[in-house]
Amino acid sequence: MPKVLPVLAALTFALPAFAQHKHVHGEGRLDAVLDKDSVTLELELPLDAAVGFERAPRNEKEKAALANAEKTLKDTATLWHFPAAAGCVVQEVAVEMPKFDGGEHADIEARYRFRCSNPTALKEIETTLFKAMPRLYRLEAQRVGPAGQGAQRLTPKAPVLAW
Amino acid sequence: MKAIVRLALQSAWARKLTLAIALFAIALSSAVLLAVERVRLDARASFAQSISGVDLVVGARTGAVQLMLYAVFHSGAATHNIRWDSFAAIASHPAVDWAVPISLGDGHRGFPVVGTTAGYFEHFRYADGRALAFAAGRPFAKVFEAVLGSEVARSLGYRLDDRITLTHGMAELGPEHADKPFRVVGILAPTGTPVDRSIHVSLEAISAIHLDWAGGAPLPGVSIPAEYVKKFDLKPKEITAALIGLKSRAEVFRMQRFINNYRGEPLLAVMPGVALDELWQTLGIVEQSLFAVSALVVLVGLAGLAATLLAGLNERRRELAILRSLGAGAGDVFLMLLVEGLAVTLLGALIGCALLAAGIALFAPLMQTHFGITLSLRPPAASEWGLFAAILATGLIASLAPGLRAWRMSLADGLTPRN
Repeated sequence: MPKVLPVLAALTFALPAFAQHKHVHGEGRLDAVLDKDSVTLELELPLDAAVGFERAPRNEKEKAALANAEKTLKDTATLWHFPAAAGCVVQEVAVEMPKFDGGEHADIEARYRFRCSNPTALKEIETTLFKAMPRLYRLEAQRVGPAGQGAQRLTPKAPVLAW
Repeated sequence: MKAIVRLALQSAWARKLTLAIALFAIALSSAVLLAVERVRLDARASFAQSISGVDLVVGARTGAVQLMLYAVFHSGAATHNIRWDSFAAIASHPAVDWAVPISLGDGHRGFPVVGTTAGYFEHFRYADGRALAFAAGRPFAKVFEAVLGSEVARSLGYRLDDRITLTHGMAELGPEHADKPFRVVGILAPTGTPVDRSIHVSLEAISAIHLDWAGGAPLPGVSIPAEYVKKFDLKPKEITAALIGLKSRAEVFRMQRFINNYRGEPLLAVMPGVALDELWQTLGIVEQSLFAVSALVVLVGLAGLAATLLAGLNERRRELAILRSLGAGAGDVFLMLLVEGLAVTLLGALIGCALLAAGIALFAPLMQTHFGITLSLRPPAASEWGLFAAILATGLIASLAPGLRAWRMSLADGLTPRN
């Protein structure tokens, strides 16, 4: 297995280059994995939901909006709320803003990794993303954990992912 | 209070005929409500238990639910097959722990035939990670050997060493592969999953029975006897779907992306747990409307109880007046009616539970064979207790109106009814 990991890593970094995703305005995707003591969250947001436009910024105001969205997504402590008993600490944050290379749609991708000292206490994760981005009305979440796989729809009224 | 309860029950017993009709309505309506809840819970559990330990189900690009339905539940049909080399490429991916191919399309007297490898018996898991067990015999090893699910063996009365022939397609009277019979070498123990209704043969067997076929019918004038098929290349060219287990479950999203973006041909990888949740999300509205209708039925039943009690009050004026003259307060009369209503509701709900149990005992095998839903005789789940309590609470509320009326009447009435 350890020998396999570099190969895997290489593969997964190569993947997004030709990945095709469905793109629905106002609707984001969240993939969550709880594996032993590590939690990985992968978030994909249509740019429109974050800032209200899907093209390169045209003025200072739009540039500020983009910078603000990036800041929101990087502010891990505010964005994700774990149960205190689980003892989860952020390990890695990567936010990839769109490059505006001519496509019709633009997405923001963000990846978070946490390590938890007591993963059995991790029953749910709450997000404040809906408060920060009022144009986002839904996150289609897929989760994998010790109890198996599941799908869940997060909304401003129900922003909690339950394991 | 004890005296009131006894009085109420004895008084109710004296009017048992009219109350029995109300009781009947309550019992039936509670049985319907509890049955809807039970089927909902057990259907979910059966679907969720049908497959565990499989990280991804792979098929041709179609809907996630459709892929699940044919790959796991063998109902519906695949739109396309996937090529063997695509399967081989996925199976040899470093993140993949095991991969089991599945080839569908043939049947035997209405039961689906699953072409697969011996790895199926090793890796398939159901419920909480339980492996398949053999009730008799062993996995298939040669081309014309078959392993039966428990339900197939039971309902068709097959034993080890029996010979069976497969039909092309799922129709009971489809064209037969009569020249190439299979020997039953294994019978699986019951699992309560679609496995029970399946016949398992090797992928090579599926190729072999179609050697002299083209386009879904035997080639006229061509017949390859069973003993010669080994001379042909039986390596499968196509399969219908594949079940994939990963070395680490954390890789599932990446592997899913890898398969969905596979360049060889359009493929779809589905996470079974996610697809089932999505299926329930779509079915949620149907569930809710069924539930609403059955809740209404209970309301109608309890309204009938209130009407029966109210109508009975006129006949009982003398009885209540005598009780009053013997020292019972108006409040006691009110309580008496409440106790009566509650007792009838409780008894009705209990009879409803008994009816449900009888119904499950009677229809569980039918539900199992036709819908793959395992209904179980078991103590009520939390939500079912909740429903039971809700029925009682509604019964109590329904008894309030007759109780209040009795209270008012017994304040106003003397021993001689005025009318």
